[in-house]
Amino acid sequence: MPPDARVEAHHFQALGTSCSLFAVGLSRSQLLQGEFWVHRLGARLTRFSPDSELSRFNATPGSWIDVSPELEALLRESLRAFETSAGLVNVAVLPSMSAIGYTRPLAESLPATTVSDARPLSALPDVLRVRTGAARLEPGAGIDLGGIAKGWMADRLCESLGPNTLANLGGDLSAGGPGPAGSGWPVGFAGVTVLLRDQGAATSSVRRRRWGALHHLIDPRTGVPAKTGLEEVSVVATSGLEAEVVAKTALLVGPELAPVYCAAHALAWWLSP
Amino acid sequence: MRTVVLRAGATALTLAATLLSSAYVTAHLKNPAAPLQPTVVKAARAGGPTLGPSVQPGGGRPVTSTYAS
Repeated sequence: MPPDARVEAHHFQALGTSCSLFAVGLSRSQLLQGEFWVHRLGARLTRFSPDSELSRFNATPGSWIDVSPELEALLRESLRAFETSAGLVNVAVLPSMSAIGYTRPLAESLPATTVSDARPLSALPDVLRVRTGAARLEPGAGIDLGGIAKGWMADRLCESLGPNTLANLGGDLSAGGPGPAGSGWPVGFAGVTVLLRDQGAATSSVRRRRWGALHHLIDPRTGVPAKTGLEEVSVVATSGLEAEVVAKTALLVGPELAPVYCAAHALAWWLSP
Repeated sequence: MRTVVLRAGATALTLAATLLSSAYVTAHLKNPAAPLQPTVVKAARAGGPTLGPSVQPGGGRPVTSTYAS
């Protein structure tokens, strides 16, 4: 067995969470370029800054707005995720986030513990339309890209940095290439180590970003924080974005259907009640 | 007379096919050796993950983990 290749690692804070980049055959400065990309794109996609591209898009409903290629790609992926999850992954969740008071990063202040004016989410294709270079949001709707953005960005990082790279953005990770020993990137997954090669992993949970009886994971069918009998789901899938979508969907379908759903859509899974 | 023989033969043939098919299906109703669908390399132990065939377990220390954030 050949000796493990040297892994360059770089850790940083971005997107309101901890991020890490790992690569074989890349320099630290190349990983720093990856960090800069995450910061730049994160600043454009956050809903917490009124000056971000996403916030400006949310603030201008009812008309076609020019969007960047990155936001266009993410909105298209969001529509695809809505379709493949039968509506359970719905980025038009911003009104519900406002209803539960989650309008600022939790590190700044905890929201109130009561829910006001929550209602089931509109179907995403009814409130969001995308065409080349532009998108349109219907009045009353709002987008929070959340985990979809992290999974998508991890995938893009793996594509752009190099052929043997792992990007972990707050637990949403993408692993490209054979890893340091040639058999895949060793990744911690539900207490065991698995070897990922051109695959992604993600965890969806209601245990974090929680305050009082509320948490951040909205059930689109009710518009309030989900209570399905599952508290945490980890998934390995063909990409970071796919893992994020499958993990969230599995958590929302609940403990009875999640094993069957995961058997059909995930490469590996862990369900925690 | 010939018509009766043909009818009786057809009926006998149908009944025989039905009975033989039924016997075959009953005998092969369940195959305990059939692989799980989808194939599972490592079935979930209590509280542990389920790994499909395209995810191999590794013995070493992970470089990072998936987690809730």
